[in-house]
Amino acid sequence: MGGPVPTEAWVALSAALFAIGAIGVLTRRSAILVFLSVELMLNAANLALVAFARQWATAGTQVAMSGQTVVFIVLAIAAAEVAVGLGILVAIFRDRVSTDVDTLSEVRL
Amino acid sequence: MLVFIVLSVVMLIGAVGVVTLRQPVHAALSLVGTLLTLAIAYVQLHAHFLAAIQVIVYAGAIMVLFLFVIMLLNLGEEGPVAPRLAWIRPAAWIAGAVTVVGIVVTVYADPRALPDAATLAAVFTGSGVEQIADQLFGPYVLTFQLVGVLLLTGIVGAVGLVQRKAVTSSAAQGRAVGAAGRTPSKAPPMDAGATAERGR
Repeated sequence: MGGPVPTEAWVALSAALFAIGAIGVLTRRSAILVFLSVELMLNAANLALVAFARQWATAGTQVAMSGQTVVFIVLAIAAAEVAVGLGILVAIFRDRVSTDVDTLSEVRL
Repeated sequence: MLVFIVLSVVMLIGAVGVVTLRQPVHAALSLVGTLLTLAIAYVQLHAHFLAAIQVIVYAGAIMVLFLFVIMLLNLGEEGPVAPRLAWIRPAAWIAGAVTVVGIVVTVYADPRALPDAATLAAVFTGSGVEQIADQLFGPYVLTFQLVGVLLLTGIVGAVGLVQRKAVTSSAAQGRAVGAAGRTPSKAPPMDAGATAERGR
């Protein structure tokens, strides 16, 4: 239906996803739901990166694939973050039987 | 454009579900929906390799980890157990049958032939794997190695976190149980055995 979708539309969608994720991080109280919202924000950033990569690819520059490469790296970092974060979550849950982030203000190293 | 509109509507509904649904399992499954639509979006943006990786790593591995922890911690709304819906089972059968019929009809009734090997190779050349590899092992090689170090640190950190916690908490429990004298004979050896099991 009438040509490719403009990059602006993809970036607007990415911004909406990011905003929803930020709202989730700020409003949810269970730590695991905060994690889910963080994942949403990471994916919103990825979508913007891929959209910009296509933009530069159509412009025909050498840096066209950098965006997709960064998305690949973000995926790896997200995997590491989830593993460590959920480990912390399980450790906290063993200590106190809740994952309410509002009661965790005294957690120190 | 039509694909984009449908895609963005589904994606935003899933995202709102992540933020608003009260059951953690429902929120996680809602995020799976969003991630799968994101994979379709990557296909639309000519990033086929990233679409596959998105499905495998994000919608597969990471979300399984999330669901595993949600169910391990038994999080959820307190309240009456939801009754099994009577229409779920026939609906599942119907959905499966529709899928099979759709695939069979598509395979046998679609007049278009499969593209030959040369066409497929040309398509996959543009799909990003080679270019990403060139970037990853060219200008980004330092980042690549740092990500490797980060992943190793993450593994050590996650294992160490859970491990040390298990040893100290069970030792503390053993001491507490011994002091309180609730079950003085049984609990400490069982704890020690459990710790040793976990250590291996």
